[in-house]
Amino acid sequence: MHPAVQARLDRTLGQAAQRHRAPVVRGFGAFLWDKRWFFIALAVGAVLMSFSPPEGLDRRGLILIAMSVVAIILFVTEPVPLPTVALMIILGQVVLLGIDSTSVAESLMSDSVLFIMGSLMLAVAVVKQKLDKRIAYWIVRMTGTGTINVCVGISIVSGILASFIGEHTVAAMMLPVAITLITLTSEDSRKVRGLAAVLLFSISYGCSIAGIGTPSGGARNAIMIGYWKEFFYDPTNPETAKYVVDYLTWMLYSYPIFLIQLPFVTLILFYTFKPEHRNISRAVVRLREQIRAQGPMKSADWVSIAAFAVVLSGWLTFSDTLGLGTVAIFGAVAFLVIGLVRWEDLNSGVNWGVVLLYAAAISLGVQMKDSGAALWVANAFLDLLSPLGIEGGIPLWTAVSALTTGVTNMMSNGAAVAVIGPITLKMAAAAGESPLLIGFITAISSAFAYLTVIGTPACTIVYASGYLKTTDFLRVGYRMVIVSTVLLIISASLFWPLIGL
Amino acid sequence: MAGKASRENPETGEPALRDSESPTDVPEAAGPPRFSLLVCIDGTDASYRALRHAVRIGSGTGADLTLLYVRPIDQDLRTGGMQISVVRENLLDWGLELPGGTALRRGRELLVELGWLNKDWQTEFAHVDVQGDPLGDNAIIYSSPEGRSIVLRLLIAPSVASGILDEAKLGEFDLLIVGMPEGEKGSGPGYVSRKIARRVAREHTGAVLVTRAREESDGHLVCIANYEGSIVAAQKHAEIAGRCASPVFLLSVARAADILPDSRKTVATAKERIEKAGIPVSGTTALVGDPVALIVEQGRPHSVIVVSRFQKRTGWRQIFSNSIAFKVLKRAENSVMITR
Repeated sequence: MHPAVQARLDRTLGQAAQRHRAPVVRGFGAFLWDKRWFFIALAVGAVLMSFSPPEGLDRRGLILIAMSVVAIILFVTEPVPLPTVALMIILGQVVLLGIDSTSVAESLMSDSVLFIMGSLMLAVAVVKQKLDKRIAYWIVRMTGTGTINVCVGISIVSGILASFIGEHTVAAMMLPVAITLITLTSEDSRKVRGLAAVLLFSISYGCSIAGIGTPSGGARNAIMIGYWKEFFYDPTNPETAKYVVDYLTWMLYSYPIFLIQLPFVTLILFYTFKPEHRNISRAVVRLREQIRAQGPMKSADWVSIAAFAVVLSGWLTFSDTLGLGTVAIFGAVAFLVIGLVRWEDLNSGVNWGVVLLYAAAISLGVQMKDSGAALWVANAFLDLLSPLGIEGGIPLWTAVSALTTGVTNMMSNGAAVAVIGPITLKMAAAAGESPLLIGFITAISSAFAYLTVIGTPACTIVYASGYLKTTDFLRVGYRMVIVSTVLLIISASLFWPLIGL
Repeated sequence: MAGKASRENPETGEPALRDSESPTDVPEAAGPPRFSLLVCIDGTDASYRALRHAVRIGSGTGADLTLLYVRPIDQDLRTGGMQISVVRENLLDWGLELPGGTALRRGRELLVELGWLNKDWQTEFAHVDVQGDPLGDNAIIYSSPEGRSIVLRLLIAPSVASGILDEAKLGEFDLLIVGMPEGEKGSGPGYVSRKIARRVAREHTGAVLVTRAREESDGHLVCIANYEGSIVAAQKHAEIAGRCASPVFLLSVARAADILPDSRKTVATAKERIEKAGIPVSGTTALVGDPVALIVEQGRPHSVIVVSRFQKRTGWRQIFSNSIAFKVLKRAENSVMITR
């Protein structure tokens, strides 16, 4: 290699180069511009805190609302690594609200947070078992070679799996299956744009609509279950026991909504993208050959399936007594003890900053409730809606769903529920609606993040394949939002009353 | 942040590059200065058009060429807390390529097709773990027996724009080439949008060529202002144009009729100096009127419009910069080079 090229690589590829890439090194102006949303968020927070508290809200509530607004701006614009927002929430609670730091630290840990931590470890453990090729084999065996059949098969299998083990897990496992089918059909991605879109969206939307099916389908569900218990459950009042929602009860209300959405996914995708190939027999045959080379199921495969089955049965039977989080942690321990996964894999595969972020967001939500700030915002929102004739019933449900859908398309669905859950639950109480019903609508609508890449983990994962454009999400997403919202409201008004909600 | 550079490629066992502790302690490379080009690749037709343009410029200069794909740092809240590296490792286990790898491989195939890269070139690998991502920053270096190099760079950065700007600055490239997407919409996380292309052109402190689909063959139109620096910049650019056998046309625009004689004089001086260097000048023009409108109009039949920018703007002042060069870049339908 020529010394000049070596010298250039030494300048650009190395530890020192990484230090030189920091925005602040590129000049103060560049730093300010890169971090502009951070400073705008802080300025907005400072301005809000400088106002006198309005009627019905005390100083503490005003500070909490300002902190929430700052957090939302930072969640949406991402000028700093998102765990930084968590650390800022902790600092804000201690410095601005004067809460004892030990109390703040205690408020960070709850069963919901344990569940998020445990389920993320389980997600990485399951992906590491390399069961994806087995699943792919079952799909192509069942579906044949027609593109529409393969897409239906992928949606159903992705959906059913995602409803129990989390959408990020399933999207990570199914993505190579879809990309293999695409590349085996054509090496030139431009010739299979439509095919790539229907296959990849079958995974992401299949996972997204299923993530609401069970409490273990996503962090948002565990967060809502935690909020119900925290906000409405009183151990001395037996009537409030209904607010401790167990695994099966959640499934009873949510799983049918996932199932009725399933057929619409394939219909909408085919109507929108019109794949170039109606039959992908060549790709399916070659995929089958690749998978057959794996040989029959090995004992480790069966052990990992059995371990997950034990965790699932634990969620079904013990979640109301032990808590969802405890069972998830048990599952992670089981995978580690059996030796199916190494701690190093879990440590590198889980972003612990995200656990911290959810913990801080939930802690902020609980403070919003305790201070009365959530109720104040809920009343203000209702006052805004009442001139439009939206005071309760289906109009209010639709408004809550629309609000949640809007927020979840701008930030992660878990963060969306953590931030707006306390407000919608208090809104339910103020409007005389069932907090369970409004809570379900909030949690389920948080899955309608079909419009953007960042809305759901599954969307982000399939986008990373490089086959989809951001505009593809808009093209198909609005149709999915309309259909899902209509189906949710129909279910809430016709189906849920039949089963006691 | 940054991990330690690997000493060898884990797949082939071939020796990797050394990792310097500081960019400033790198010794000056021996030999005459080498012309170096940095081309942004994102897998779109626009980026491969830019690569073809780079090959045309580089063919005459014997340049070193670097193809750069920038992957933004993962925000793992978006994947629900599971690191996206788990997804990437799974794709690699299936024997599938990642988007950056595919885009760069297509770039390499294009260079082979154009006869710029042969099988007898020596290949080396370099890798550094960065941003907590084991896939990290990567480079594949192809060296010809004559000492010419082609580097395929896969870089992780906070954003695509900042990655391109940092690489161009730290690598001290002579020319940065970015394809301006037109009509087509790119895909994937490393996509260089129109907004990013404009930001790169605005903020980069060196020469930038923004290529467009329109390919007229009538050489380079070099615009000159009534400053010594502008004439020097024109001379430098004429050398590049001369090396790739492109005719050079000179244009100077006076805002008012009373400045026209100065503009004519500037053009004549530039022509004389360029021709003295052995590069023929195919034509000269000095006009009166709105510089942006005239440059865009006069530049229409040419393959590249070359405009200079002299104000030393840094930091936030760059962001609000609205010079003639950027107005030309925005309005022109063909490729525009901004020199500094």
